[in-house]
Amino acid sequence: MNAVRRRLQTSEAIAGWAFVTPVLIGLVVFLIVPILMALWISFRDWNGFTPPGQSTFVGVDNYRALLLEQGVKRFDFALAIRNNLYYVLGVVPTQTAIAFLLAVVVNQKFLRGKSFFRTAYYFPSITSSIAISLIFIFLFQRTGAINFLLNPILASDNMNWLENANGVFHNLFSVFGVTTPPTFLAENSVMGLTLWQWISGPSVTMYAIMILATWTTLGTLMLVFLAGLQGIPNEVDEATMVDGATAWQRFRHVTLPMMKPTLFFVLTIGLIGTWQVFDQIFAISAGGPQKTTLTPAYLVYREGFRGSSMGTATAVAFILFIIIIVLTLIQRRVVNPDEV
Amino acid sequence: MPSRWLFRITALIAATLLAACSGGSGFQEADAPPADETGGETAAGDGGETAGGETGAEGGQTLQLWGAASSPAEDAALQAIVDQYSEETGNTVELVFQPEYDTTLQTAFAGGQPPDVFYVGDLRLPDLAEAGVLAPAEGMIDDPDDFYPSLVEAMSYDGTWYAPPKDFSTLALEYDVAALSEAGIEPPTTWEELAAAAEALTTEDRVGLVLGAEYPRWGAFMFQNGGAVTDEEFTEMTVNSPEVTEAFEYLQGLYEQGYAATATELDAGWPGEAFGQGKAAMTIEGNWMVGFMRDTFPDVEWAAAPLPEGPAGPGTFAFTVGYGVAANAANPDASWDLVNYLVGPEAMLEYTSQFPVMPSRQSIADDWLEANEGLDPFLEGADYAHAFQFVPGFQDAVDTLNDGIQGVAAGNREIDQVLSSTEQAGQGVLGG
Repeated sequence: MNAVRRRLQTSEAIAGWAFVTPVLIGLVVFLIVPILMALWISFRDWNGFTPPGQSTFVGVDNYRALLLEQGVKRFDFALAIRNNLYYVLGVVPTQTAIAFLLAVVVNQKFLRGKSFFRTAYYFPSITSSIAISLIFIFLFQRTGAINFLLNPILASDNMNWLENANGVFHNLFSVFGVTTPPTFLAENSVMGLTLWQWISGPSVTMYAIMILATWTTLGTLMLVFLAGLQGIPNEVDEATMVDGATAWQRFRHVTLPMMKPTLFFVLTIGLIGTWQVFDQIFAISAGGPQKTTLTPAYLVYREGFRGSSMGTATAVAFILFIIIIVLTLIQRRVVNPDEV
Repeated sequence: MPSRWLFRITALIAATLLAACSGGSGFQEADAPPADETGGETAAGDGGETAGGETGAEGGQTLQLWGAASSPAEDAALQAIVDQYSEETGNTVELVFQPEYDTTLQTAFAGGQPPDVFYVGDLRLPDLAEAGVLAPAEGMIDDPDDFYPSLVEAMSYDGTWYAPPKDFSTLALEYDVAALSEAGIEPPTTWEELAAAAEALTTEDRVGLVLGAEYPRWGAFMFQNGGAVTDEEFTEMTVNSPEVTEAFEYLQGLYEQGYAATATELDAGWPGEAFGQGKAAMTIEGNWMVGFMRDTFPDVEWAAAPLPEGPAGPGTFAFTVGYGVAANAANPDASWDLVNYLVGPEAMLEYTSQFPVMPSRQSIADDWLEANEGLDPFLEGADYAHAFQFVPGFQDAVDTLNDGIQGVAAGNREIDQVLSSTEQAGQGVLGG
């Protein structure tokens, strides 16, 4: 009896492996091997031209240059982290909140033209990000549509969006008359950047790119939320209605808790995506003005392909990878999707 | 809880996948036409009856030639020349125009399968030479002394000549003929005259000068004042000097007073566009302006003048691209034969006279001028031009300088601080 079961298990195991093998091969060849190779390169000095085997081993020098040694590499890396941090802090909450709101709206049973709105909101997500970036360049020109709308409201005169390196927090401080940093902020620095530079906020140009990114990803996230909302059984809603719960109570105590796994998913996707922003930067600003839209992902490209320093590039990629993992784990603690 | 583990693993894989993907995909470069290279102008030659030299290889070889795509007309012209070569020699040349050229070439080298012959830009040459992937050109090309020495130098690294220059471009001053005659002024020839002209030509809806805030433009003013980023041997940084400071102060003044502006401030993609639209009366660009103005703004009457001289004399940039041969080319003889043909005087003249890009051989300069009247200011620049070129790894310092120049033009950065941070960035690379 036991032997029969064991034999059955073995053949099932073989079948199982046979089924997953094609995918597994794909994963190993296109994912695991390249990742391990990138990890290996991050400990070497490779110019990107000669076969990687001819590169020299440099230990943790690439990481040290980025994190510890005073110099332009660390400065640029710190700038990239700062820029991207503001980008993440600006984009992730905004896109999540608006996408959720939109999903709730288009999920209404009695909304007219529902499919039109769903399509309209999703449209930016299926459009090429480069094409969208080029359109945004037009919109954000000094005599473009954005300024045309904003000039009367802000009483401003054709703001320069795409070549404006001023941090928005610095701009805010200057409203209160703080234009030069207090000595405490100017004299203390972390990773080569003074505290005053750290708290600059995103530059105006980065801010424009953040608006673009939020607008582009909304549709996809809305779709995810919509799927989550439709996964909530009607009976639950109806039961609470019978119990006399108001619309707000139903949303707060039924919909929201049941959406927690979806929320976590959206936040994770958002976090990963925003830490890797590349195409929009590449098309719109190429890291400028004054390096205020330099991000780690763009730094990877710049170091690897323009600076012929693949070791530094892969080291940046791995630090970015660690940042993303750590933040995802922290976020998991906070949102706690398993407890519904 | 297995599901929890499954979740963790899935999240980990997803994060890994996305993190590993960042950065490397091949996008089409979307920047304004000629930021820091020859503006996509390509050249080769239409050889006509004779090849540049005797055929060093037997026919029947297959060669691959890679170039960076430029305008369809230029691509087609090069294709015609290559076809002619194939026909004459019996070698088969496959011409491939690569989008995102530098990235594609780099990965081809890393993969061990580079093309036989390929474009090498002056800015990129040190990286390739240092990596040892280029074959030396010494002794492979007929009449090498005919090339402009400054171009040969730009195509050399550590005393070895690698890629015969196929053509080049220089910076000059382009001006709106009507605007200048209205204001009753002659094209400026000195810094003082340039400042005065910029002031006189600035009106309500036009600035005097549109000038990109980047090293490949501002550097010319550094040269005109006797300054440079490094010494000639690239051993130490010389950027933090009174000469460079003075040049930057001069330019900053023009922007500050509103006589000069960047392209973005004028709502244009690059200075040439702002100039063509009449938003500026003068600009400093290269000979790629000729084709651009002809195609996009045929009604604007403009002319070129040499860059105004600074206190230390004239100075400009020359941008050049050459043909490189892979160090491990399967068929070096046939590869050099092709290059020799493409940079031969007849072929080069045939090609460059069709397009406003200048021949790199001095012997055909006059013939070229006949076909391109009024472009002598660009050609003259070759005598005193500097290359936009440093040593491998110097890109970080160039980026820091460009970043500072943007700030100086915008008026939110101090010149001495920009120069000292560039100096530090450069010292990190040069080891000085």
